[in-house]
Amino acid sequence: MNFDKVIFGFFIILALTLNFGFFLGEYENPEHHRSYEFFGVIVVNFIATLLKLGDRSQIGAILLASSLVADLQLIAAAVYWGVAVHVNETGLTPEVMSSIVSLSGGALLANIISVIILISDTLMSRR
Amino acid sequence: MPAVEINRVSFLVLRELRRPIMVLLLVYAFSIIVITYTPGPVIDGKTHHMSIFHAIYFVTYTVTTTGFGEIPGEFSDAQRLVAMVILYVGVIAWLYSIGAIIHLMQNEHFQNALKEHIFINEVNRLSSGFVIICGFGDTGSLLARGLSDNYISGVVIEANPDRIKALALRDYRVAMPGLCADASIPKHLLEAGIRSPNCDAIVTVTNDEEVNLRIAVLARLLNPDLHIIARSKVEVYEEMLASLTDHVAVIDPFKTFADGLMMSIYNPVMYALDQWLVGARGASLKKAVCPPRGAWVICGYGHMGHEIHRVFDEHDIPTVIIDSEINDVDAIPNLINGRPTERTLRRAGVDKAAGIVSATADDGHNLAILVNARTINNSLFSVVRQNLHQNEVAFSAADADIIMQPSLVTARRILFRLIAPMLNELQEYLHERNQEDSEYINRLIEHLSSVVGYKTPHMVTITLTRQDAPALIHYLNVKQVQVTLDDLLRDPRMRDEHLTTLPLVIHSGQESIILPDLSYQVKENDKILLCGRSAAHRLLNASLNNPYTLYYLITGQDQTRSWFLKAVPRLINQIKQTLSGTSRSIQNG
Repeated sequence: MNFDKVIFGFFIILALTLNFGFFLGEYENPEHHRSYEFFGVIVVNFIATLLKLGDRSQIGAILLASSLVADLQLIAAAVYWGVAVHVNETGLTPEVMSSIVSLSGGALLANIISVIILISDTLMSRR
Repeated sequence: MPAVEINRVSFLVLRELRRPIMVLLLVYAFSIIVITYTPGPVIDGKTHHMSIFHAIYFVTYTVTTTGFGEIPGEFSDAQRLVAMVILYVGVIAWLYSIGAIIHLMQNEHFQNALKEHIFINEVNRLSSGFVIICGFGDTGSLLARGLSDNYISGVVIEANPDRIKALALRDYRVAMPGLCADASIPKHLLEAGIRSPNCDAIVTVTNDEEVNLRIAVLARLLNPDLHIIARSKVEVYEEMLASLTDHVAVIDPFKTFADGLMMSIYNPVMYALDQWLVGARGASLKKAVCPPRGAWVICGYGHMGHEIHRVFDEHDIPTVIIDSEINDVDAIPNLINGRPTERTLRRAGVDKAAGIVSATADDGHNLAILVNARTINNSLFSVVRQNLHQNEVAFSAADADIIMQPSLVTARRILFRLIAPMLNELQEYLHERNQEDSEYINRLIEHLSSVVGYKTPHMVTITLTRQDAPALIHYLNVKQVQVTLDDLLRDPRMRDEHLTTLPLVIHSGQESIILPDLSYQVKENDKILLCGRSAAHRLLNASLNNPYTLYYLITGQDQTRSWFLKAVPRLINQIKQTLSGTSRSIQNG
């Protein structure tokens, strides 16, 4: 067992599970999608990206790419959230909330891909 | 050179289309001018004329017979009259132009020029090393299949258009561009990329000895450093080819086979090993074919019969020859002049003979001889020549002890010269060692089979260059760490075990090491010939390219991949050092 791999796997899988938790619920209902949860998703995703930096192998490149996609989607959702609440002051109407949740759904997909690559790489090395 | 050819195709197109385009241009210009000058309908006492834009629009849809209903405005009768003239003239001009294009497309010379043009482009697009194959008969197609299995591209030149069509229908793993042309014309060899730095070798396997020789001479002149592999079945040509250059290898399937047959009689184990190494069908390290040493009957005194007679004669094995087409009957002792029928076979003493060779150039005859001889003497050891690849099934059903297929022997020999050029050195070395110490081969076979297994092995030559093994070269040059063969050949899935492969020969600089020890330290630009399972070679290739796998193989530890995870412990260490430094200075103070 390798301690590096434990930390690495932990954050990548945590990014996925938190993201899934946020995504779960009625997609128009702000009650089901908490801002703290969303904040947690973003932070863990950033940590996962940071851990993926520096890998020179092909698989490392794909892992990093999928993480960057997730980050991009989450940042877009966060900016939209902030603008809707504080700039336009429309508040979390069903339209706004559904946009935010669908953006986080995209990030969820990128995180799923990340985890699949991680697991298949581990299985391929067979040790 | 290719630039000239590109110009030739476009030049042909331009020359043929010059007149039709000119005609169309004139007809359009004439129609547009006439329709604008024709007086249109009178509205509010003013005669309307069509503008140039409207005229172009109208002519465009009229002469192509599209005939949209929408027109710029209502026409006067004068305009209608002109419109009819424009329609007929325009349609005729178009028919003429399209006819000219079709005529050009059907022109045989144009088609050939176009095919050559496409062929040159395909050859130029080949990025890795390729082999030029002159002649796509049985041997050529077997060779192309073998090259494709080893992911090497071939460029085929064949004079018979049917064979080129056959080439186009094959499914190869890599590009195999083909050109229907005479390979002994220098222009075609240049088109096939004989001067390209990617061209590794040229193989001449056409059915014409003269043509093969001419191609070899041309290749020698056009690219003196190129490896030339020529098939030849005639002594005179072989001599002429061999004296051309150092880079020429002459393959004579019959001589190869006859020598092999002799080896299998006197040294079956060595022969089995040889066959196993070159991956002959059905070859196994476990069982060796053992032809008997008694009297032999050779049917057919062509090239094959000749060569077999020669080696048998050298080893004083008694032979009787049956052939009906020998002019100088007295020159050959023990000749029975006649077709190999039951009568002649009996006269040749088949009932008491140990073995029979049916070596005529006709597959039907060869099979008939085999069946006839078997009815007389069932325990005969039979060697039969199969001339055409398409008769495969019949020959397998005949159940001969050895089937000699010249095209297969040639193709395999050539293939191994291309993919494992160092194998020859190993074989020569083994022959030498075998004469000194006959137990050596048995020990080697035991070792080989314990590592690789009995089944036909996969041969591969790996080159430790920056391009093919970037991770390893980085290790050797930048980190200055010694890497041994033992490290490289470990299993990346389980480091305690080794991959099922064995290094046979290493070329390091000028030096060549045969059957190297695993403690050998690899260097940049080493060439290693490996014999093992293809799965193991894929794993090895992955390790040579992946720095992390290589690190694991050499040290047994997983390297931290993440920059962040590497940076954190470094930072903690630094803080610890600074802290202990300050605490020490406090204590001292």
